[in-house]
Amino acid sequence: MALGGGASTGTAALAAHGLSKRFKKKIALDKVDLSIPVGSVTALVGPNGAGKTTLIRVCMAFERPNAGGVEVDGVDPWKHRSEALRRVGYVPQTPAVYRGLSVEDHLSMARSLHSGFDSDYARRRLDQLGIPLDQRADTLSGGQAAQLGLAMALGTRAKVLLLDEPLANLDPLARREFIQVLLDAVKSDGSTALLSSHIVTDVEDACDRLAILGAGKVRLDCPLEEARQTHRLTEADSPPPGATAIGSFLGKGGKNIMTLWRLAPGDAAGEALETASLEDVVLGYLAAGRGTGLQLN
Amino acid sequence: MLSRIRLTLKQHRFETIAVTIVCVGLTVAALIEAYRLNSLNVPLSCLQSYQGGYMGPSQAPVTAAQAHCNELAKSFNDMRGSLDMNLVQLLLLFAPILAGIVVGAPLVAREIEQGTAPLSWALSGSRRRWLLGKVLAGVFLLAPLMLAVGLAANVLEGALNPGLNPYASFSNYLGRGVPDVFWALAAFAGTFALGTVLGRTMPAVVLALVVCFFVRATWDAGMTHFVLRQFAVQQVQQDQQQQQGYMVYGPGGPGNADMYVYYKSFIDGKEVTDAEVNAWYNQNMVCVPMPTQSASTSPADSSSPGASSSPGASSSPGAPATPDNSKMGDNGVACQGPNIDPSHMPQQVQYVIPGSWYWQTIAFESGLLLLGSLFCGAIAFVWVDRRRPY
Repeated sequence: MALGGGASTGTAALAAHGLSKRFKKKIALDKVDLSIPVGSVTALVGPNGAGKTTLIRVCMAFERPNAGGVEVDGVDPWKHRSEALRRVGYVPQTPAVYRGLSVEDHLSMARSLHSGFDSDYARRRLDQLGIPLDQRADTLSGGQAAQLGLAMALGTRAKVLLLDEPLANLDPLARREFIQVLLDAVKSDGSTALLSSHIVTDVEDACDRLAILGAGKVRLDCPLEEARQTHRLTEADSPPPGATAIGSFLGKGGKNIMTLWRLAPGDAAGEALETASLEDVVLGYLAAGRGTGLQLN
Repeated sequence: MLSRIRLTLKQHRFETIAVTIVCVGLTVAALIEAYRLNSLNVPLSCLQSYQGGYMGPSQAPVTAAQAHCNELAKSFNDMRGSLDMNLVQLLLLFAPILAGIVVGAPLVAREIEQGTAPLSWALSGSRRRWLLGKVLAGVFLLAPLMLAVGLAANVLEGALNPGLNPYASFSNYLGRGVPDVFWALAAFAGTFALGTVLGRTMPAVVLALVVCFFVRATWDAGMTHFVLRQFAVQQVQQDQQQQQGYMVYGPGGPGNADMYVYYKSFIDGKEVTDAEVNAWYNQNMVCVPMPTQSASTSPADSSSPGASSSPGASSSPGAPATPDNSKMGDNGVACQGPNIDPSHMPQQVQYVIPGSWYWQTIAFESGLLLLGSLFCGAIAFVWVDRRRPY
């Protein structure tokens, strides 16, 4: 059961209810409940194989859920695919571009496929980044290809943006640029974004909400600030009074076993302790999910 | 939609350019070969009388005109049998299927292999509309190119068989003309359907090659046996055919514009089997070994009325009896029968599709190919809506 925000509300831009997806014997998503509020930028964090990509693919109607379902802006993508996809902008995991086509051709293709595609908007964004429209897409750098993918997603003027680890193959500068463009767009358009990544530091400055996915389950789903304020990290043998142990893992330097604690509301003593970094929060929940942490309490 | 068609052709530019070059090149090559044959200006009578040494050294004196005639006919036959002519004919035969496979295989499969399908499918609410744009691009590319190739093949067929009207004859009729377009479309539809189901280009190509060549190889026999048999009519008498201009010069001798479908044998008005015909001959004929030279015959003589280069117009089975009641047996064995009234000898009646039915037959078989294409296309359109884009 996920801690934090939890169940769907009427204002959710994206909501999953008891969503399960299985590939033969492997369970990719296990009764996932998730709610992404409108206007938020949510980091979907988890290790490789946690189910992040599967969750996004279900939202894109690329995968059919075995149980439960998702709603994108109130529409079930599996039942009403056209309707749902009209509301979604999607950036795939690897920057997939058509090798023989130019950047301008990509925008033309997007316009021919999506009736509401705003070519001028996408073109302006690419112009701002200095990406030549007549350049062949297969000669773009990784960062430029990712920006092209983002521009195509933004050009749909969709209410919900789903970004499947778009930063994974980018250098630090390109990552920062990508996130900046994304944030500008979300801010100006008032859209909602779900940004998946397995690298916490990539997304912690960009997002206002955190969802941790581990072994197919949602471990945490809450605002980023809440995640920071309600979690503390201590050495395993010094628990804050009244706190709930989440998980233990090897601390930096590999010397000490550290434990992540979730504070009870109004726990003044706990709040006095040093706050946990976002990376620690994620590590703590993932350790709990894997069952590799020390069992305390 | 036009924009999508343009972009699809640009996306598959290698296949587009390769198929265009091959088809245009083949069209030009076929026209050049036809021009070379036509420029010999060989009179039809020379081709029909040319014996090409089959009868051995003739004892009769040869006039200068006959010698010139034979020389022209020999040049014509040499050109017909030349390597470049055979190569062009071979390519004309396989070009539609190969072009269809080359254009169809990567249409969907490559998008899935290269990971671009999720990009397009996320943008397009309807995958079927997306696929339609791609399919139309393939059709717009293949149809005019294959029509050009088919028409050039018709011109070449006319040059190879002087006196033959390619539009009223079944000589090689499925390897030229309009059917080329439909063979290409069928191969195209089958291959892009395989690519959609398999999601891989090379396996789709290999499987399509196997399936397409199997269908092509068995099509003639299947059509003749199961379909055209229902429409075949009794062949008119040979002399009537000649009067009507059906007689043409075909490979190895005069051929027939009609498509031979099947035959029936009769003895004294009663339908009999081949075994009964053979039994009749064994009972009534006496066979003795004969010198090879006298037992052999010219191609013109040995060819039955149904013989031509058309796959469906193969030689009629059985050894026909000659008017003097002798029957040419195998391996230089000549059979001399008793003096029987020819009207009591086994009679063979051939059933054919007349050459005058060319367009109806073409329309029918092209329609069947089109139906097959639509069926394959329907599979792809259903499958693309259900499959994963990776």
